[in-house]
Amino acid sequence: MKTKRIQDRRKFLLAAGLGGAGAAVLVAGVKAKDGPASGSVEAAAGPDGYRATEHILKYYKTTQV
Amino acid sequence: MASTAPIRVERPLAAEEAARGDYYALLAHLFSRPPDSALLASLAAAPALPEGARVDIAVAWRDLVAAAGAVDELAAGDEYDALFGGVGKSPLSIYAGAYAGATAVEHARVRIQRDLAAAGLAHQAPTEPEDHFAALFDAMRVLAAGGAGRVPAPLGEQRRFFESHVKPAAPKFFARLATEPRANFYRRVAALGQAFVVLESESFSLD
Repeated sequence: MKTKRIQDRRKFLLAAGLGGAGAAVLVAGVKAKDGPASGSVEAAAGPDGYRATEHILKYYKTTQV
Repeated sequence: MASTAPIRVERPLAAEEAARGDYYALLAHLFSRPPDSALLASLAAAPALPEGARVDIAVAWRDLVAAAGAVDELAAGDEYDALFGGVGKSPLSIYAGAYAGATAVEHARVRIQRDLAAAGLAHQAPTEPEDHFAALFDAMRVLAAGGAGRVPAPLGEQRRFFESHVKPAAPKFFARLATEPRANFYRRVAALGQAFVVLESESFSLD
């Protein structure tokens, strides 16, 4: 059942043109695997998978009711 | 007894999943900063989508390619500043919180921080809030295609992030940008983004 759903999704994306679109976008000079496009997201370094910066902690305080 | 290290098997990314990552990368790039002359030149030289491709995304791609060939780096930079930055109030917000219905109790940024952390990701631009569309598209790029030291996320995880943070805000943002009088090149970016988000939304519903 799950395999069929994956196949349906794959067929849908390919039919939409995404298989070939990838090449078109790559030509545009931005490639997903090359690294962050905007430098904004990176794998978290902390042991719990989270790095709370001072900025984040300050922001959390402003959201407390 | 000798210890054995776990073997990590990385499956090659299917073409359509790689393409999703590329679309997110392009959108993240174009909303993080204006295109430079090299990006405009390569966009202008990009081929059309294959015959039989979905019409909305094929037309949007064709129009963006044409616009990239007609605009120069300086004009694109001026347009980006006029729309999203520069001096004074921007005509439209580039932050998802402005479209997703931020509340006093839990702003979209807090939810994004929490979900990025759950996905093992962290926002790396402390001068920009987490709900900047460039950051959201970049997060989707990593979840869809891998990067930042991690493999692609399972589809369920991708769908949860998309439906929580992209789907409630991006269509409204693209609709506003598409009708913004000062937008020219970015009107075409908005059309491509809108078509792509609709496609993503429909494809996740098949999972």
